[in-house]
Amino acid sequence: MAKTFHLDIIASDRVFYQGECEHLVVTAIDGQLGILPGHEALVTSLPTGELKYCVNGKWHNAAISEGFMEVMPEFAVILADHCELPEEIDIKRAEAARQRAEELLRGKQSIMEYYHTQAALNRAINRLKLSQKKFK
Amino acid sequence: MPNIREIRERIESIKQILKITNAMYLISSSKLKKARKALDDTTPYFDKLQETLSDILVHTPETRQRYFNKRAEIPEEKRKKGYIVITADKGLCGSYNHNVLKQTEVELKKAFDNNCYMYILGQVGRLYFQHRNNDIDHSSIDSEFLYTTQNPTLFRARDIAELILDKFVKKELDEVYLIYTAMDSKGEFEPKTVQILPFKRIHFGLDKDGKMKKLPKAEFVPSSKEVMDYLIPNYVKGLIYGAMVEAFCCEQQARMTAMDAATSSARDMIKDLSLVYNRARQAAITQEITEVVSGAEGVSGG
Repeated sequence: MAKTFHLDIIASDRVFYQGECEHLVVTAIDGQLGILPGHEALVTSLPTGELKYCVNGKWHNAAISEGFMEVMPEFAVILADHCELPEEIDIKRAEAARQRAEELLRGKQSIMEYYHTQAALNRAINRLKLSQKKFK
Repeated sequence: MPNIREIRERIESIKQILKITNAMYLISSSKLKKARKALDDTTPYFDKLQETLSDILVHTPETRQRYFNKRAEIPEEKRKKGYIVITADKGLCGSYNHNVLKQTEVELKKAFDNNCYMYILGQVGRLYFQHRNNDIDHSSIDSEFLYTTQNPTLFRARDIAELILDKFVKKELDEVYLIYTAMDSKGEFEPKTVQILPFKRIHFGLDKDGKMKKLPKAEFVPSSKEVMDYLIPNYVKGLIYGAMVEAFCCEQQARMTAMDAATSSARDMIKDLSLVYNRARQAAITQEITEVVSGAEGVSGG
């Protein structure tokens, strides 16, 4: 049994994962970040992206949208808007969201709207990317 | 003697209202189920969010951050205070709206009223403050701030958070408070005021045993500024979302209780009125018999 640390992944609409974890890989704002037990204390924010964690030698993938992470030597907490397993992703919905966002981006928008649509597009693309992974 | 027809009409109208209140009771109880589930799903996030942020702030060196800027140089009477008030879209939910509005009035009294800006969620609160502000020159309400409180979404919370943070950064607001109805552990609710901006270290209290102190200082990756710029809006959004979910759940609960009470008092009224009605009917019959008998007696006697 490898050394573990406690991992909490909490999305705004549910508790995604709570338990021991051996290795965690997240996409932070400046690139991918691997967390092993005993990692130095750190705080970072997570954009929409992908998340991997290893429990009992098995890797789990998840799609995560906007959140932040606190890492302490014995535990890590991830708080995110949404977090989903690849098999939970509704591909049709994500595809529809992507098309909608792309269409909106072609039109004229205020800066704020532009950021919103771009964020929505990112989320949709991220979901689609991850949902395709499960078939490989 | 009460008029029989009047009583009957009254009973009929009460029955009509009973149907309405009963239907509203059923609707709100099914909505409550949904709202309760949303609340249960969000509570871990909401709690952990506050816990983690207080943790982060305790263990990080002082950050010179725009959201922490207290702007102490601005005197109390010139400070622009923003209040986000969460009320219901509809009435008929007991004292729910009333309590929130009363709490808001108390807060406004403490502040200098004409420097207050109201951001109101829900029709009832908006109408209330529109009327109130017509009277004297009071705090101004943002008339473009139109959000419903039904089925709170993260998207709406994000919109609100962005607006508020934007105003704060542009110095259109110096302090921001959130007033909403919170549910305590006993299932009772009471209005609550939370300061959102500027961030204060004090209201992220330490744990009772202060166990977090042992943890080492955390590092920000890539930099504290970048992380905070990202984290604070996220936190504010989470806070607003959590408050919206909780308030919505309270609203449904309040409406359910109020409608239940209305239904049962309508039943009581019908019961009482039927008694009066039956008595009146009996009295009328007795009188009629007396009249007939005395009439007959008069005929036979004559």
